[in-house]
Amino acid sequence: MSGLADLRLGFIPLTDCAPLVVARALGFFAEEGLEVSLNREASWATLRDKVTVGALDGAHMLAPMALASTVGAAGDAVSMIAPISLNLNGSAITVSTGLAEALRQIDPEGMQQRPTMARSLAQLIEQRRARGEPPLTFAVVFTYSMHAYELRYWMAQAGIDPDRDVRLVVTPPPRMVEQLRSGLIDGFCVGAPWNAVAVQEGLGEVLIKASEFWPGSPDKVFGLTAHWAETYPDELRAALRALIRASVWADDRANRGDLVELLALPQHIGAPAASIAWALENEVVFHASGAGLPRREHALWFLSQMARWGQVAPDGDFGGIADRVYRPDLYRAAVASLGPSLDPAVAFADSVSAPPLVLFDGKAFTPESASAYAASFPIRRLQP
Amino acid sequence: MRVLVIDPDPARAALVAEGLQGIDPLEVRQASLFDEREVAGFAPDVVVIAADSPDRDTLESLRESGHNNPRPVVMFVDRSEPGLAEQAVRAGVAAYIVDGLAPARVRPILDVAMSRFALTQQLRGDLAKAKADLESRKTVERAKGLLMKERGLDEDGAYRLLRKLAMDKGRPIGTVAADLIAFAGILKGDAW
Repeated sequence: MSGLADLRLGFIPLTDCAPLVVARALGFFAEEGLEVSLNREASWATLRDKVTVGALDGAHMLAPMALASTVGAAGDAVSMIAPISLNLNGSAITVSTGLAEALRQIDPEGMQQRPTMARSLAQLIEQRRARGEPPLTFAVVFTYSMHAYELRYWMAQAGIDPDRDVRLVVTPPPRMVEQLRSGLIDGFCVGAPWNAVAVQEGLGEVLIKASEFWPGSPDKVFGLTAHWAETYPDELRAALRALIRASVWADDRANRGDLVELLALPQHIGAPAASIAWALENEVVFHASGAGLPRREHALWFLSQMARWGQVAPDGDFGGIADRVYRPDLYRAAVASLGPSLDPAVAFADSVSAPPLVLFDGKAFTPESASAYAASFPIRRLQP
Repeated sequence: MRVLVIDPDPARAALVAEGLQGIDPLEVRQASLFDEREVAGFAPDVVVIAADSPDRDTLESLRESGHNNPRPVVMFVDRSEPGLAEQAVRAGVAAYIVDGLAPARVRPILDVAMSRFALTQQLRGDLAKAKADLESRKTVERAKGLLMKERGLDEDGAYRLLRKLAMDKGRPIGTVAADLIAFAGILKGDAW
């Protein structure tokens, strides 16, 4: 490519913005001929709007947000694509130490099990209702997020209706801990490093991590409009190459100290280094085992949960939507163009016959029958 | 009509609120944070929120969960005016209207908000520039003092030397002065 192209990319202060931050700080974007400015955004809605109108060229994005925008679940439909997954795992459900204590009194053994089930929470909710106490409040980061579906799934698995038995609110990630401290919320599901921040400040306890909820669970993608991707295919390929190289670098244990230091800077996450290091240890994966590959079954699982909770019609063409938004072909092409420096197998990890996708409750998910899966849960809110 | 302005920047919020006073009939309130109880009490018809407010996601979620909020809001997207939403995003403003209110009635409100945001941005830019100018002048004064002391120049001679250095290097005089002070510090053993 001749000359430098200017790219404006957005991110939210979370550990999984690492590929963007690393690609810029270590010069991977520059080596691909891209002059990149990173914009830290205050909310997911603003980040999405900026990508939609072209005030940002691409962004660190909640995977379900790209799907929701494309189908117009939250307003005008704008086709987005996800050509790379930025990470696997990283989120967790944390409750206040007070709530954890109350749960321990109900079921001390259950609270020691990993992952912790929501059974004792269901009992506590019953007791509180009988005593006439107000519902507990739980926060997620955005309506269309892994975090929202994770919390809803985990609660509903134990018979808790997340729309009726608790108050579900939306709170931006950096605000979660302060709201837990002030008692405005009793628990939350948020991405790294904010669970660790709550634990290390003595304010909360983690009950289930994403890797326990669903080993290798999807979370963030690099999202951009389909229109931008069609207009600037070379720039997109260059950006993907830089992001892949950054992901490889971020996975390397030898770089862990530098990564933590870089992410902890106030212009990036602005959280204590120890909290950031916590989820990087045995939890968040950026590249290894094909983590960067945007997998069709991930999109289908998100669509099944969007259908389950009434956000999209249950009989939509989920396969078609998944194929429009999730673009493993672009990921594969970028990996191939990086040549022998990368194990080409990472780009085809989705073509080997995978074991059935099973979540923490033992329930299997068959990607081909996402609609039936959505309808199979006793607690659901399917659109008529 | 009741308008709530949510902006973490109180000065900017005040500017928007003041601009809205010209529109009639109107009751305007401003808050730096979104507080659900407060909002329910005020029952606004329109919520204008700064795009850089972290509370946007909370507000955004209310339109999907009508049951726990008595005043559901929807984002203002006036399809009859293409480009308006883009303009608002670029200006850093988002607006939510309570279901049922005609978008045309919101247009003047959004216009005021956008123009006041632009004005704030310009004022901030001017202020930052004035500060930088002042800082640069202070640096030049210090560099001049240094040259007068070390080279035995008078004030005018010291300034001419600085200006010549700046012209030779093709860099602003403030930058050259700052470099000079930094290097003088190193030579004296201030650092390293």
